[in-house]
Amino acid sequence: MLILVRLIIVAAMWLGLAATAQDEPVDERILLTFIPNVQFAPFYVGIEDGYFADAGFNVSLAYLQEPEVLDLIAVGQANFGIVSGEQVILARSRGRDVVYVFEWFQKYPVGLVFSSALDLSDLANLKGMTIGIPGRFGASYSGLTTILGSAGLTEADIDLREIGFNAPEVFCLGVIDAAVVYVNNEPLQIKNLAADGDCGAVSDVDVITVASQVDLVSNGLIVSRALLEEDPDTVARMVAGLASALRSVIDNPASAYLASLAHVDSLPADEALLNALESAAEEQLEFLASAPDRGDIARSRRQLAADLSERFERGALTQLNVLLNTIELWDAENIGYSDLSSWEAMRDTLDSMGFLEDDAGSLQDMFTNRFVTGADR
Amino acid sequence: MGAGSTLRRISPFLTIACLLLLWQWISARGIISHILVPPPTDVYQAFTDSLADGALLKHTLVTLEEMFFGLLLGVGIGLAIGYAIAKAPILENILSPVIVAFQSTPIVAYAPLLVIWFGSGIASKIVTTAVIVFFPTLVNTIVGLRSVSPNLRDLMRSLKAGRWQIFRHLEAPSALPVILAGLKTSTTLAVIGAVVGEFVSQGSGLGYLVTSARNLYDTPLVVVAVFTMTAISLSLYGIVAYVEWRFLVWQRRSSA
Repeated sequence: MLILVRLIIVAAMWLGLAATAQDEPVDERILLTFIPNVQFAPFYVGIEDGYFADAGFNVSLAYLQEPEVLDLIAVGQANFGIVSGEQVILARSRGRDVVYVFEWFQKYPVGLVFSSALDLSDLANLKGMTIGIPGRFGASYSGLTTILGSAGLTEADIDLREIGFNAPEVFCLGVIDAAVVYVNNEPLQIKNLAADGDCGAVSDVDVITVASQVDLVSNGLIVSRALLEEDPDTVARMVAGLASALRSVIDNPASAYLASLAHVDSLPADEALLNALESAAEEQLEFLASAPDRGDIARSRRQLAADLSERFERGALTQLNVLLNTIELWDAENIGYSDLSSWEAMRDTLDSMGFLEDDAGSLQDMFTNRFVTGADR
Repeated sequence: MGAGSTLRRISPFLTIACLLLLWQWISARGIISHILVPPPTDVYQAFTDSLADGALLKHTLVTLEEMFFGLLLGVGIGLAIGYAIAKAPILENILSPVIVAFQSTPIVAYAPLLVIWFGSGIASKIVTTAVIVFFPTLVNTIVGLRSVSPNLRDLMRSLKAGRWQIFRHLEAPSALPVILAGLKTSTTLAVIGAVVGEFVSQGSGLGYLVTSARNLYDTPLVVVAVFTMTAISLSLYGIVAYVEWRFLVWQRRSSA
């Protein structure tokens, strides 16, 4: 009898521990690209403000190249990663069975930056121009091909120079007429250089975005098909956590900037700026309590930029302005949702570039919106 | 020729064959995913395809061109400055802080700057290669020239030998073994210089082939490009070793 009682006690303790363990957040690594940067603020906010923990995850971040992210997800060495849409199509055409479950960037972030002195009201004027690009691959190359295609041009009509990720410096040296860039970042840097008189004869720049020409599927969250089929609940919880964190950044960029400080070493953060951002973040919380609509919130972001620009040097606000520019590429009524038409446009672009020698399979198999509905407010 | 000697000769090939078989076996058993490590048969297919469509030859020639001019520039400057420093030690005090600082910084750190300064064309790749091959040439030239026996130099001076005669008949032959040893290092480093430059920018070369194949998820082609770099590096090393063997025949005789 005593033995039986002991067994019951041990079993009860074991069950108790198991239940506790289930409530503990599970360690999960999200693979990002590039380097720690304020553009990844939703992930930093997800960690710092507990959105991932609420979803049941203890998230860590790693920064790799896109092909490495895709391969590690495809073989199951990581569960979640962020890549651009065209990489999903290319990778699937090469046997990587991954699925895109959440469109993070609602607008394609690539565009063409050029001196305001140039007349590019008609894109056909690009003919004969020297254009810089990081390389003949990735989102930049797809974006340029789309812009050229919308003007009835091809690569043969321009002088394309591969310049690495040095667009501001090379552009301001006057070596190129225009550069393919991420529209939320480099144009701002070039504008700053021009304002300081460090950009040759250029006094201001304009940008033509790919998104203004055609809707291409952009950066988003991917998982392996194996995970999607075996553990859809985990995918659903991660999507919900990311959606909540993303909405939080869109609604309160000052707070997001402060959360990013723990992850991005080079963010400007002198005491005066921190105090201003903390005040702005608190005021924004009060504002959000009045249930404003998207338009009101967008206006509040513009107001934040205007207020801070009166009090701080341009250089101190560059990264905050990068964040504010990037939010415009994320914001949508139904964040996370991707259209079939944007996948078709991307596939056609890759096809025209000759990158799709192998069959990429059905586009419907590449993405799903099943986790998006209800994830957003 | 005994069986032991024959085995020694074929043992490198046996090692390679065993490694290939092990690689194929691992792939066939699915121990490592094909996505991460493609099987040798896929790599061979990518090799024949890239040969047939001319892509491998085109990119290899670009890298060789960058390496050739980079070696010419880097070795030339290394020899000239090395000779000057060996002759005038004050120059070592003047130049060494800059040279050592430049050399101790990883080339990948400032390769993007070279693209900005020298453009995205072949010039920046040549400079990247020249920078990386310069230092071993410089150091070995200085060491080689300083290893010349002072007694022999005094003897030639006492025989009224001119500066050119001392250089041609004493200094150059004495320093050549060390300089050629430096050249062996430089030629293998030249591949790294050219490929680092190609990783940063330009639309051709083996470094670019790796990047573009990787972005198209063509892992077998990445392996082909890497093996081609290895083959170039080994070939150049072999060429310099052969030149060393031919030119230093007097040294072998004196050793014998």
